[in-house]
Amino acid sequence: MSAIRIDQLCHTYATKNKTVTAVDQVSLDIGENEFFTLLGPSGCGKTTTLRCIAGLEQPTSGSIEMDGVVVVSDSVLVPTHRRDIGMVFQDYAVWPHMSVFDNVAFPLRIGRKLRRAEIASRVEQALDLVNMSQYIDRRATQLSGGQQQRLSLARALVRQPKVLLLDEPLSNLDAKLREQMRSELRLIQQRIGITTVFVTHDQVEALSLSTRIAVMSGGRVVQEGSPREIYLEPNSRFVADFVGATSFVAGRALRSSPDALVLETELGTFNCRPDPEILPGASALVALRPESLVVTDTPGERDNCFAGEVELSLFVGEGVDYRINVGGQSLRARGSARAQFDAGDRVYVNAAADDCVVLLADRADSADTLGAEVADAHH
Amino acid sequence: MTELRVDTRPAQPPTAPPAAVRRRRRLTVHGAINIITVLVLVYLVIGPILMLLLSSFEDTRAGVRIRPPFPWSSANFTGVLGDSQTYRVLGTTVVFAAAGLLFAFTVSLVFAWLVERTDLPARGLVYVLLVAPTGMPGLISAIAWGLLLNPTNGYVNVALHNVFGLHGSGPLNAYSLPAMIFVQGLALVPLTFLLITASMRNMSVSLEDAARTSGAGPWTILRKVSLPLLRPVLIGAGIYQFVTVIEAVDVPLVLGLPGHVTVFSTQVYRVTHPAFGLPDYGASSTYGILLLTLAVAPLLIYNRTVRRAQDFATVTGKAFRPRRQRLGRWRWVAFGASMLYAAVSFVLPLLVLIYASLEPYIGSISVSSLQHMTLAGYRKTLSTDLFVSSLGHTLVVGLTASFAAMLLSVLLSWIIVRSKSRFAWMADVLAFIPHAIPGVVIGLAVLLIYLLLPVPLYGTVWIIVVAMATQYISLGTRLTTGGIAQIQQGLEEAAQASGARASQVWRHVLLPLLRPVLLNGFLLVFLATIKNLTLPLMLQSSDNVVLSTLIWDRWDYGDVTGAAVLSVILTAVTVTAALVLRRLSGNGEQI
Repeated sequence: MSAIRIDQLCHTYATKNKTVTAVDQVSLDIGENEFFTLLGPSGCGKTTTLRCIAGLEQPTSGSIEMDGVVVVSDSVLVPTHRRDIGMVFQDYAVWPHMSVFDNVAFPLRIGRKLRRAEIASRVEQALDLVNMSQYIDRRATQLSGGQQQRLSLARALVRQPKVLLLDEPLSNLDAKLREQMRSELRLIQQRIGITTVFVTHDQVEALSLSTRIAVMSGGRVVQEGSPREIYLEPNSRFVADFVGATSFVAGRALRSSPDALVLETELGTFNCRPDPEILPGASALVALRPESLVVTDTPGERDNCFAGEVELSLFVGEGVDYRINVGGQSLRARGSARAQFDAGDRVYVNAAADDCVVLLADRADSADTLGAEVADAHH
Repeated sequence: MTELRVDTRPAQPPTAPPAAVRRRRRLTVHGAINIITVLVLVYLVIGPILMLLLSSFEDTRAGVRIRPPFPWSSANFTGVLGDSQTYRVLGTTVVFAAAGLLFAFTVSLVFAWLVERTDLPARGLVYVLLVAPTGMPGLISAIAWGLLLNPTNGYVNVALHNVFGLHGSGPLNAYSLPAMIFVQGLALVPLTFLLITASMRNMSVSLEDAARTSGAGPWTILRKVSLPLLRPVLIGAGIYQFVTVIEAVDVPLVLGLPGHVTVFSTQVYRVTHPAFGLPDYGASSTYGILLLTLAVAPLLIYNRTVRRAQDFATVTGKAFRPRRQRLGRWRWVAFGASMLYAAVSFVLPLLVLIYASLEPYIGSISVSSLQHMTLAGYRKTLSTDLFVSSLGHTLVVGLTASFAAMLLSVLLSWIIVRSKSRFAWMADVLAFIPHAIPGVVIGLAVLLIYLLLPVPLYGTVWIIVVAMATQYISLGTRLTTGGIAQIQQGLEEAAQASGARASQVWRHVLLPLLRPVLLNGFLLVFLATIKNLTLPLMLQSSDNVVLSTLIWDRWDYGDVTGAAVLSVILTAVTVTAALVLRRLSGNGEQI
């Protein structure tokens, strides 16, 4: 049985001038103990979807089931406080007038009557889980941002809810702390095995934490799949572009067979990853990841090799980010930190056929129609 | 180590739908409270306006009718608008208000600049002394100035006579328009000063530095940068104070009536409470409508300014302490001027009141008169039943009206800030309107309503409570709206997501976080209610005398000592309350 089932969810609201559709026909099926991520740019509807699951927003239409029980539909509305959830907010939402203990104890005190000792031991367990037990007597306002976020996670888990909802919990932390919290979040989630819905705009977080990702755009789910699928097999220009920096080269399919796909582009012929859906003659885009492009000073032996000139060369520590002009097109590439080419150098850009993903141009251009398609297919 | 495990929980019965399942958009308790709040507000705010319109468009010679058939008539308007006295009153009101504001703003700007931007000595003391008169009710400072500048035996006039060997009345006359302007101007200074200093303090000095590094001189910076940045607060405070001036009856009553200087507020009072004959409610309502119009016009501009104030959002930026202008040898001149102003505006009136309360007769101050000083006035005044009951009434009115106003305010603010209701704008408008209705008009309208409605409030203290609550909802919501807006919505949502019902969210999260704001607002409204003369006077009967009406009654009757005794006591209470308030909130800028 799925932990959360979202069916045809729509959420519209009226502003002064027009009606905005924040969530448009979203259908999702989230399994027990999954770490499910809603990924997308701001305004794509991911947070609204999460808030609908929490009951903090009421959908205009559609329904949500949690654990087999309808929590919202045309005829039913279970208010937030009756849903079996724990939620972590982007801005922590730690109550400043309560101590750390009181913050975490709140969900226990508010609901069923529990014995004082029972509450204390559960709070301690929850704080232990997030490595915060030594701060139990502090005032919440004396905590740093990272500690507040841990506290907020302990508060969400203390009721032992069926579902954990995370609304960009890492985005207010600084880079180092974010990385650390990322690993911890995953460890805790695996340890207690709780169905988790995670909202983020950060592709690294999404790819590293999730069991499954739904990429959203304009209120719709554009692609749904494992992190590997999302990254390696984007189904649209939008996904390829949003998840990782991608350069696109436009072209037309020359040959397509189960083991070869050749495109004619402005740069020359491209040997790409085979795709039976691409028929000869179809106009298409080649999506190239910076890290799959190898920059050399002599022509390489790869499937594709093009001569170009370095436009921009930025040393970023773990590597060198290049912008390379190939036949009038700017391609982004990531090179090794050891050997750096300078702007103006003549170089060769090499790419293996398997790293060159082809997207159909008509499909790639309109994520909108695609979103509907995916939603329907899913349904 | 024990782990938090979802799967270790006792097996739950197979999924039965939660008990809370209900139809979407069904009325929740919270929703019901919202609707009731808005309805109460509509009754409190719109009711009086409708009442006023009704009685001004009726032929009220046989009384006001609230049921059909309505005796529609335009006689009130033709009568009032055809009367040349109306235009004289209008002219006097405008001159009184404009000159009072000009005085107050000039003084406030100069002192605000001295305190915030110069190396004036003892800036803290000057600040406190300028703000201190907030505690002194307008009625009392008017009485004090009446004692000082009475043309025949005012202390200042007597002193001038003695020094310069003058005879006859004067040279200064408390019962004239210039004196009214002066006293009203003084009364306006504390709040104006507070608003301007707060705004100056928050103004990012880097904006002025940017102008300086662009090659602008001090004068250009003042004209092109500083004053334009202050414009929103100057316009906002100006219009707010304009309503304060035209709605109040205290100064015009004490200083205007003896010299036959009439403004709109006293005109409404006089027509509603004539010395002889029956009140003409039709005419007073018509005057009320005119006064309302006069108040609303600038408030519409105020509203637009407030909205536009976001354009000046940079003003709130936190920055370095501003560099202070060196005054050089003018330093001590400026300090002397500040002390002189404090002496004239606060210390002198206070001393005169204390002196008058200890003197059996009013006269010049001399060694012999000082020997006659006695506490007999206190004994006599404080032992009367009227004093005891008026003190009780004052407390009842103050406490209940403040409580009611803050309760309505916080509920209303929640609707304004948080609810996604389509009707949230209505709450916003309802909270704003009482600010635009001059107190004397609220008093008149509330009087009419309870004269006619079969609700036994007329003549009791509760009618004053209703009027006060109505009047101070604007003040209350301004504080509570700010307070709620400062609480991240996530704090409420986190409580909901933790399983808290709406009532639990209020009890455990919102109210504790709002406590400072609510306490501050409660005290602020409490202070305002006990200082208020206008509403109790408009609604007075023999059974609901409060301290402020008692003071006016004693003064009007000619019992100067009694009025002074009561004034000293009331001032002691209000100044203390003001000090507590400042200590609690750390600032009085929200007034």
